[in-house]
Amino acid sequence: MKNEKELSTIAVVMFALNFSIILFYSLICVATTFRLCQSFSAYDFLSSVRQVPRYPWQMPVQSLSLYALLCAVSVLKNLRPTERFPLRVAICVAEIALCMGIIASLDFYYSGIALLVLADLVHYVRNGKMRLCFIVVLSLLFAFGRYEIVAHSTGRIAFTAYLSYYDQTAQGWFTGLESLMVCCNILLFVLFMILLFTGQKEENARIRKLNEQLNQANDQLRDYAVNMERMTEMRERNRLAREIHDTLGHTLTGIIMGADAGLALFDAAPEESKKRIQVVAQSARDGLTDVRRSIKALRPDALERSSLAEALEGLVENFHLTTSAEIDYSQEAGPLEFAADEEDTLYRVVQEGMTNAVRHGHADRIAIRLTRAGDVVTVSVRDNGSGSGKTEEGFGLRHMRERLDMLGGSFTYGNLSKEAADGYTGFFITVDLPVRSGKGE
Amino acid sequence: MRGGIRKRAGALLLALALCLGLIGCAGSGETVLTIGVYAGSYWDTPNGDCYQILDHAIALFEAEHPGVRVEYVSGIPTDAYSEWLAEQILKGTEPDLYFVLPEDFDLLVSSGALANLDGRMAADPAFDPSLYYEPCLRSGQANGSQYALPHESVPTIMFVNKTLLEENGIQMPGNDWTWDEFYDICDQVTNVDSRQFGVYDYTWLNALYSNGASLFDQDGRSCYLADERVQQAVQFAKKLNDLNGGYTVTARDFDVGRVAFRPFLYSEYRAYQPYPWRVKKYSSFEWDCISMPAGPSGSNVSELYTMMLGVSARTKHETLAWELCKLLSMDESVQKELYTYSHGISPLPAIAEDSEMLSLLHQDVPEGSGFSPEVIHDIMSSAVVVPRFDAYNQAMIMAESAVQESADGGTTGQSRMLTAQREINIFLNKS
Repeated sequence: MKNEKELSTIAVVMFALNFSIILFYSLICVATTFRLCQSFSAYDFLSSVRQVPRYPWQMPVQSLSLYALLCAVSVLKNLRPTERFPLRVAICVAEIALCMGIIASLDFYYSGIALLVLADLVHYVRNGKMRLCFIVVLSLLFAFGRYEIVAHSTGRIAFTAYLSYYDQTAQGWFTGLESLMVCCNILLFVLFMILLFTGQKEENARIRKLNEQLNQANDQLRDYAVNMERMTEMRERNRLAREIHDTLGHTLTGIIMGADAGLALFDAAPEESKKRIQVVAQSARDGLTDVRRSIKALRPDALERSSLAEALEGLVENFHLTTSAEIDYSQEAGPLEFAADEEDTLYRVVQEGMTNAVRHGHADRIAIRLTRAGDVVTVSVRDNGSGSGKTEEGFGLRHMRERLDMLGGSFTYGNLSKEAADGYTGFFITVDLPVRSGKGE
Repeated sequence: MRGGIRKRAGALLLALALCLGLIGCAGSGETVLTIGVYAGSYWDTPNGDCYQILDHAIALFEAEHPGVRVEYVSGIPTDAYSEWLAEQILKGTEPDLYFVLPEDFDLLVSSGALANLDGRMAADPAFDPSLYYEPCLRSGQANGSQYALPHESVPTIMFVNKTLLEENGIQMPGNDWTWDEFYDICDQVTNVDSRQFGVYDYTWLNALYSNGASLFDQDGRSCYLADERVQQAVQFAKKLNDLNGGYTVTARDFDVGRVAFRPFLYSEYRAYQPYPWRVKKYSSFEWDCISMPAGPSGSNVSELYTMMLGVSARTKHETLAWELCKLLSMDESVQKELYTYSHGISPLPAIAEDSEMLSLLHQDVPEGSGFSPEVIHDIMSSAVVVPRFDAYNQAMIMAESAVQESADGGTTGQSRMLTAQREINIFLNKS
């Protein structure tokens, strides 16, 4: 904190002041006792207080040694800070107990020690509830640890009884000094608290400002991401257009021109026409190859870089990491080597199934199973989510159906039984895909 | 480095603990018990060897308790004793047990300096309260508990100038005499012209105790100034005073043999009766003592002053202190020495009424003495312990001034007394 230095200075001054106050009370009581005896006023004193005082050494020895302990605890806890909660609580309780001990050993003449300990602990304790608890206890100690309230009837001798031994002038000096020191202690306490709380307030404001800046940056980042996506989409669209124009456009143009030329020559020179149509067929084939190449360029990156098996494992792993859903992936379909479009479809089915489970069913457990019976590969995705209330297909499912239709596969989905023993009580998708033997065409 | 410092600190602490332990062991070799005692006599009578009884008791005690040494500070005069004791209490160095002057008892009890002896008394089979005169034991009680044991007692008795009575042809009154006899004798003796008087220093307070009355209740909460018996005492004292025709009788009148009666402490009788003292103080006449005259509602009762022994509430040797306290208070050989070395009466009837002791005592008196064991028994067992409480002195001043006023005012006396009683009661309950 910014004013940490000022705070510790005030704390040191408070410790020194309280030491003088304890010394003051002890000295007055001890010195007055012996002066009373020297001036043969002991009997009068005893008759006026009607109370056997404690042993004269008791007050200074007890209060000063307890105070030394308090100082030691206070210094040590700052020198060797601990984060262990029970130890921190024990330190605070020890300080409060020592504070009570000092107040009692001073015969309740002075309860300002409670303010010292309060300042010390409020600075030390960060836990709001515990801090409040200590504030209440110490405030009560400060307010009620007074001779007039506590010790009046418990047979302690009033400080004023000791003072009354002296003449008016001396009494005035002593009470003046007493109230000066007590007031100073209160003022120091107030100053300490003000500095402490303004310091905390400033810190809070700084944190709030930083937070705002962070949020702003976040928003900018989000906008940037949206723009980026839009730009990527645009670029992709442009690429597709170029591709279509360069490949299909070019090939089709060639085919049309070739076919037209073929038609024109069909009657006049059938041989020539045949040649031309052969060229058209070759050109169409080349075009198809070009289209295939283009489509290949649009495949998922993962499949482009690695095999389906690796890609699926990567997908599952990534999904688990990003959503923290628990995924039970079992691959029992043997080697996963299929045509590119089939691999794409299987990959998209698994991807879409998992996405749906988390996005719509809020599932945190997903089971994915790949099996193969002859030429039919079956993918089943089940989850423990809430299932689906709607019966109509969303965009994802429709897209999936279209892909499968193209490859002659079938596709079922629906809600699972709520009593399923394995805990998968949400949604399921089962896809059957007949695969062409061999890889590609 | 740090470990080294810790080790050294640990060793230092260990050494310190050892030293303390050794000191403790050495200290426990001999127990020192301290007792607070004054020099001279509390009863204002000459006393040659004031520590004789104590030394004897200490010798007995140390023989009984090997390893215990009893110490006392000698030379504290009686009038400085209360202050000395208060100083010791303030400094926290008060003796384990100490003599308690009657006027200090209330202060010492209410300030908590004296230990409550109830538990000790009940637990100690050797202690028997019935061995004491009840009023003596009662002197050491407050708030229903025993805080001190009696050491010696002194009742108020009446000095009689036998020579003067004989000159006027009056017979020595008996120990069961009444106010009427007292008044008659005073009336006969009084002759203002020849400076001859009936009584000196007999106040309404002397009269009220022997009239069965008490001015305050035991715990000093109410005053009975308007009580009829108190009124009788006031009237009687006034009547006696009226005999003197306005002349104020002085102590000197009594000393030169011109007054027939004077209330005195028993200790004076004891101190001045033996030969050398008798010659010195009252050589011009023969004298003796009898009990106080009985009022119409009372008996021959007198005030009792008792020197007591208390155990400090802060003593570390409470059992030993109690034992020594008991020895000084109850042991017959110690108590018997009161006859030789002091001037009080033992609080134990067995000693006080011992005829052998009494005859020893009276061998100096030519014509025998009026104090038989029976008289002593009567005086001691019926004596009044005047309650002493916080506000006693102030309340007493208020009562005395009211009595003085009513004596001067005549018939309005009764209502003045009621007013005063109310005022004193308010004062007592406030303080």
